Amino acid sequence: MVNAMKGLLISCDIPMTQFIISFNASLPPSQRFILHVLDNTHMFVQPHVAEMIRSKISEFRDQNSYEKPL
Amino acid sequence: MAGDGERGRPMKKHKTSSSSYSKAVHMMEEEDFNDYGNDFDDDSRDGESEIKKRDFTQLELKPDHVNRPLWACADGRIFLETFSPLYKQAYDFLIAIAEPVCRPESMHEYNLTPHSLYAAVSVGLETETIISVLSKLSKTKLPAEIIDFIHGSTANYGKVKLVLKKNRYFVESPFPEVLKRLLKDDVISKARINSEDLHGAETFTISKSVREIQGGHEDLLNGADLAAAAEEKETHSFEIDPAQVENVKQRCLPNALNYPMLEEYDFRNDTVNPDLNIELKPQAQPRPYQEKSLSKMFGNGRARSGIIVLPCGAGKSLVGVSAACRVKKSCLCLATNAVSVDQWAFQFKLWSTIKDEQISRFTSDNKEKFRSLAGVVVTTYNMVAFGGKRSEDSEKIIEEIRNREWGLLLMDEVHVVPAHMFRKVISITKSHCKLGLTATLVREDERITDLNFLIGPKLYEANWLDLVKGGFIANVQCAEVWCPMTKEFFAEYLKKENSKKKQALYVMNPNKFRACEFLIRFHEQQRGDKIIVFADNLFALTAYAMKLRKPMIYGATSHNERTRILEAFKNSPDVNTIFLSKVGDNSIDIPEANVIIQISSHAGSRRQEAQRLGRILRAKGRLQDRMAGGKEEYNAFFYSLVSTDTQEMYYSTKRQQFLIDQGYSFKVITSLPPPDSGAELSYHSLEEQIELLSKVLNAGDDMVGLEQLQEDADDIANIKSKRSAGSMSAFSGATGMVYMEYSTGKSKQAGHGLKSKPKDPSKRHVLFKKRFAP
Repeated sequence: MVNAMKGLLISCDIPMTQFIISFNASLPPSQRFILHVLDNTHMFVQPHVAEMIRSKISEFRDQNSYEKPL
Repeated sequence: MAGDGERGRPMKKHKTSSSSYSKAVHMMEEEDFNDYGNDFDDDSRDGESEIKKRDFTQLELKPDHVNRPLWACADGRIFLETFSPLYKQAYDFLIAIAEPVCRPESMHEYNLTPHSLYAAVSVGLETETIISVLSKLSKTKLPAEIIDFIHGSTANYGKVKLVLKKNRYFVESPFPEVLKRLLKDDVISKARINSEDLHGAETFTISKSVREIQGGHEDLLNGADLAAAAEEKETHSFEIDPAQVENVKQRCLPNALNYPMLEEYDFRNDTVNPDLNIELKPQAQPRPYQEKSLSKMFGNGRARSGIIVLPCGAGKSLVGVSAACRVKKSCLCLATNAVSVDQWAFQFKLWSTIKDEQISRFTSDNKEKFRSLAGVVVTTYNMVAFGGKRSEDSEKIIEEIRNREWGLLLMDEVHVVPAHMFRKVISITKSHCKLGLTATLVREDERITDLNFLIGPKLYEANWLDLVKGGFIANVQCAEVWCPMTKEFFAEYLKKENSKKKQALYVMNPNKFRACEFLIRFHEQQRGDKIIVFADNLFALTAYAMKLRKPMIYGATSHNERTRILEAFKNSPDVNTIFLSKVGDNSIDIPEANVIIQISSHAGSRRQEAQRLGRILRAKGRLQDRMAGGKEEYNAFFYSLVSTDTQEMYYSTKRQQFLIDQGYSFKVITSLPPPDSGAELSYHSLEEQIELLSKVLNAGDDMVGLEQLQEDADDIANIKSKRSAGSMSAFSGATGMVYMEYSTGKSKQAGHGLKSKPKDPSKRHVLFKKRFAP
């Protein structure tokens, strides 16, 4: 029997995949959102997490970028 | 109007200068230098509203503005068009009165600060001259605020001079009323030595002195560069007790009487100290900018103390040697390590007619006795400031250093030496005149301002890009190579338990290794270049050097071995690449190298970045090839390898700020090594990469940290520093907050295993305890 599941396909570069995976792993099991890691650059996740992932990534990137002090 | 100067500038920049200016204004109103600290936070909060206030419509454009090179804004910022025919003259003037903020190719930004004006006064510019020349050069009518600001800042500066004549200290001033005011102060009046006490404090010795010879700025617009206008002026003076000099100087500082003293040495009339008969050799031709920096130092026939800032490779040693040749007295030359001591001694012999018996080196391995009455002694800061027990030989030598009166104290790389060490050195050695040399007057703290009190104001600072255009230093292509992290390394990088190994993980990133290997191969084989690879991380340094089978030098490498490796690098066609830890940052002179690959670096230190770039700045090849349009536009390469998505990106951008402010731009390269490169570079297969990963993970935490050198023990960069007032930063070239740094995550790394750290005295064997007792 075919089991259909609604979700979101994320495609990103290799390090970001790792970032999302590690973020996912840091959550309690009930909140984990990755349904399936397809390969190094693609994964299938629950449909509602797009915004959260985006904000997490931008937070991470902010930490790693330098702005001249005001 | 002023918009012209601002095009393409990020808004952040504006905020920066505005807040430092409002700080300056604040200070003017209160006339209280101590208040600096408290202003600071307010200013940074005001930053946002400050932008909106920036309105230049009230500036009045002069009808012939096209011919004038600069815009002076009411807030103290000055924009200079470098394409103006008057650029050269305007630049010389501006660099004397203002701090350079950012100097890209076509438009420079400067900032007028109380400290820069102090430096201006100390090289002999007078308030009225500053205002009249500035208004001549400005496209707009000078705003009243600026005029007030200059008046307010310079009112008391330069009125009083401390002169050492015939080994007696005199306080000198053209204004007797100022001297009277000083004498009302208890400390100063006690320090006074009255030769004929009959008339009391009301009379001063009056003498004629030669006026500034370099007053040519008035004639700037007529094109005359230097007009020798020697004119006699009356000066009044009184003598003070040599033992009290330090106290008198203190009393004159802005926080007390506010008549900061300028120190001068009348070396021509010094008959007490024996002359050192040395001349520059005829082939030593100082370049125009070297001449200029010397003319600031010797502007009125006396020697002034101060700091000269020239990029690495631009010939700082020649400036130092020339200064010694002009003063012609005993000279103490201080360098940072034994290698550069040898280099200084070599430079003295190369450029001057000094005889072998007139120069001696004093290092821990090499204690040469003084052989003549007057001479040059080259030694390190550590040797002089060392507090512990010395061997008999060095005790004798240090005693002589203490007892001798030095005509010139020449200090190399002043930016690296901690302030307390300076104090010690300066208190031990009696010198008439102090000259500090450096390439990067930035520190990752605010201690740079101490230098102004300990040595003197900044006398001259060269513009890097002008020197590149003139072919005096190499034209460097700067590139930042982005290396993506591999999947496995990044996964480990993100794990919380690996937080201490983050650095090791991004440095050992196999993609970075491959990019590094690729670059080494490319430059060795295709271009025949000489390459230096820098790594601060000892673990990475060893791993890279072993894998690629290249020689390396780090803190623990002995002096002999260093010399041997450097010799091989210079002369052998087989040794084209060396790996250096941060011992190579300063003073190791490797003129042959023209490529730098930086694989790891000291957090966000701009100074280190600039110093490393300096290793390859020495001009190579023929002059005509180097000039724009010549055969090789770029002949030196500076690569910074950065693992993307890691902290390294943050540090890397931060490190580049200083060079960007000097007008350099960094090109980003994303495709290194080329995608088609395969197994010829290391770590191609996944197994190799994973093996490397496990090596990194299994290394102890102490192994993967930064290398700590003994010299660093005092380096303030390692001390947990906090965001505090940048009060005197502007004094020295570190204008306002642009030059402030906050140490983030740095303190964690401090305290890791030091190779050369002195032993904890309490752990010493009983037999040795006494010997090392303080």
